Amino acid sequence: MASKIWTERFRPSKFKEVVGQEDIVKRIESLTNSLNIPHLLFAGPAGTGKSTLALIIVKELFGDIWKENYLELNASDERGINIVREKVKNFARTKSLGDVPFKIIFLDEADALTPEAQQALRRTMENYSATCRFILSCNYSSKIIDPIQSRCALFRFKLLEKKDIEKVLNIIASDEDLTITPEAMEALYEGSEGDCRRAINLLQSTASISPSITEDLVSTVISNTKPKDIKVVLDYALSGDFQKSREKLLDVMLKESISGQDVVKAIQKEIWNLPVEPDIKVRLTEKTGEIEFRIIEGSDPFIQLQSLLASFVLAGLGKE
Amino acid sequence: MNQKPWVDKYRPKSFEDIKGQGQALQKIKKYLEDFNIGKLTKRKKKAIILHGPPGTGKTTVAEVIAKESDSEIFELNASDFRNKTKLKEILRPAIEQQSLTKKNKLILIDEADGISSIDRGGLSELIRIIQETTYPIVITANDVWNKKLSPLRKKCEIVQLKEIDYNVIKSILFGILRNEGMFIDNKIITKIAIKAKGDIRAAINDLQAISKLDGENLDPETIGFDERNKETDIFSAMKHVFKGKPTDKTRKIFDSVNMPIDKIILWIEENIPAEYSGKALAKAYDRLSKVDVFKGRIYKQQYWRFLVYEYALLSYGISASKEKTKTGFTSYKKPSRILKIWINNRRTAKKKSIAKKYAELVHVGHKRAMREFPIIKNIIKSDEDIQDELQLDEDELAYLEK
Repeated sequence: MASKIWTERFRPSKFKEVVGQEDIVKRIESLTNSLNIPHLLFAGPAGTGKSTLALIIVKELFGDIWKENYLELNASDERGINIVREKVKNFARTKSLGDVPFKIIFLDEADALTPEAQQALRRTMENYSATCRFILSCNYSSKIIDPIQSRCALFRFKLLEKKDIEKVLNIIASDEDLTITPEAMEALYEGSEGDCRRAINLLQSTASISPSITEDLVSTVISNTKPKDIKVVLDYALSGDFQKSREKLLDVMLKESISGQDVVKAIQKEIWNLPVEPDIKVRLTEKTGEIEFRIIEGSDPFIQLQSLLASFVLAGLGKE
Repeated sequence: MNQKPWVDKYRPKSFEDIKGQGQALQKIKKYLEDFNIGKLTKRKKKAIILHGPPGTGKTTVAEVIAKESDSEIFELNASDFRNKTKLKEILRPAIEQQSLTKKNKLILIDEADGISSIDRGGLSELIRIIQETTYPIVITANDVWNKKLSPLRKKCEIVQLKEIDYNVIKSILFGILRNEGMFIDNKIITKIAIKAKGDIRAAINDLQAISKLDGENLDPETIGFDERNKETDIFSAMKHVFKGKPTDKTRKIFDSVNMPIDKIILWIEENIPAEYSGKALAKAYDRLSKVDVFKGRIYKQQYWRFLVYEYALLSYGISASKEKTKTGFTSYKKPSRILKIWINNRRTAKKKSIAKKYAELVHVGHKRAMREFPIIKNIIKSDEDIQDELQLDEDELAYLEK
């Protein structure tokens, strides 16, 4: 009963199937074989194999009864201290099944945990280390408090290289009878930005239209997924139509579930492409940085973004 | 006889009884003359809209018109269902047949801003009726500048009933007291008249309420009235801030608005672009964003003195963002953001539940699944086996097809 979702169907289940991250795989494989692993911290961008390696570890350790000995939580779904106090503790305090004396908790996106929750987690890691090992994953290890970092073996995952992504996609293509032109392969890699999950999803999405994957098909699929409307928001602002810009902004944030933070990031990247003087670009960037800071600090993203758009209106008038 | 509330008992019966609306009455009389003499050419407007805040006499004026012209009233108000069929059913016969009992008819559409979107086709049917009528039509509304009334505005003579002057209210109240054979201290009457803010109905109601009190309880210093909520307050406060010169009064303007500051922020946020543009717009939003920063600081540090800065930037700061004062009428909108978020949450509930099921199956966070939903949706849509795998229910499947 293999999944029909390719990211699952083609997820490696053995160390030797993993593409890329060769050093990390070697080190982790030898740790796993010793049957005694420390707490692990996997740091790196999305889609580079963190969850996959965690799953391989538990499958190697526990064999058929891996599901009984494994708890997976995503900290960005429930980021409060309660997930540590309730779910983690309840699972950690009971004994493991089978020969291995500990269970494994995989805490994905651990950098989304509040500092308080991380403090609570640190105590739990110490108190239950006899019966439970933690694998934490995060995008930025700097967002993990030092005491936790010092209790873990740290592994830094790198973005997959082009040859790795190609290798993965070719394995899938031969299994699913797809043809991928070299240009399409290039486009898939560009669109994936080194994120293997995204590359596979793009491929499956494109293949649902036709098994002959061409560059055109791929770029159609990709263009449907980008928050390109941010450009529209800025265009309205630069042309002086603040009302439209504001409406569009709210629309984008609501309909596409984009957070204020993601909008600021997109705006920041877009500034360099705007038809304004270099000095204005710098000022807009500065202002954008200030707005991003305020949003991170907990200000109302929509109010802050509107004030940012208003400065784009000025820039459009050439009055900044 | 005495059981009647004073607002009914002392409701004006003729044009002469109506106080404080001189200008409006002249316009109305002119309209009626034109209508009755049959001067009405195609270009003349066949209906009249009376608009103004509550308690300025809109309905009363309509009733007086009927009485003075000896007409029978056909009335529809907000409590009636006013969709197309209903309007046709009630008003068509009225405009087509001769009245049995009296010579004339008057059609009264009371509280037109209450015609809701549920009253499907109501407004357009009303406009058709206006074009065909041979009888005068009087429409009343609080906010004639409401967007949905704009097609109606073009077909109608617009007459504004102003808030009734405080001195006029006082003299009406004294008239009632004389008639009731009662005496109440001038200070109290003044207090009632000020508090009414132009709403004569409110004033008369307050007067009747205290008329039942014993003499000893009628101490002008201590007697209190509970303030009525007037949503118009936020409108006039915004008008003051956006149009006027920043003054000491501006700094305190939001103190008198009965609304929490967080809500006032939303009103300002919604309406800045209706008033300002260019430099003033950027300045105003910059200041509003700082109001929001102080708001965050209050929450974080629980240091409430920051409220001073919140209010100062929100009132004086927004007001001083413009270079020149402004005139003219601006139709302010209600804050729409909260409603939009709520509607959107309902709309995306299915999307969320699909993303959640998917996220758990493929070991990613819900939020990441939401971000990549367009791609994921393609994949799920293309393969029924995947839909089974995710155990999507019927509603979720229906969402995919949309």
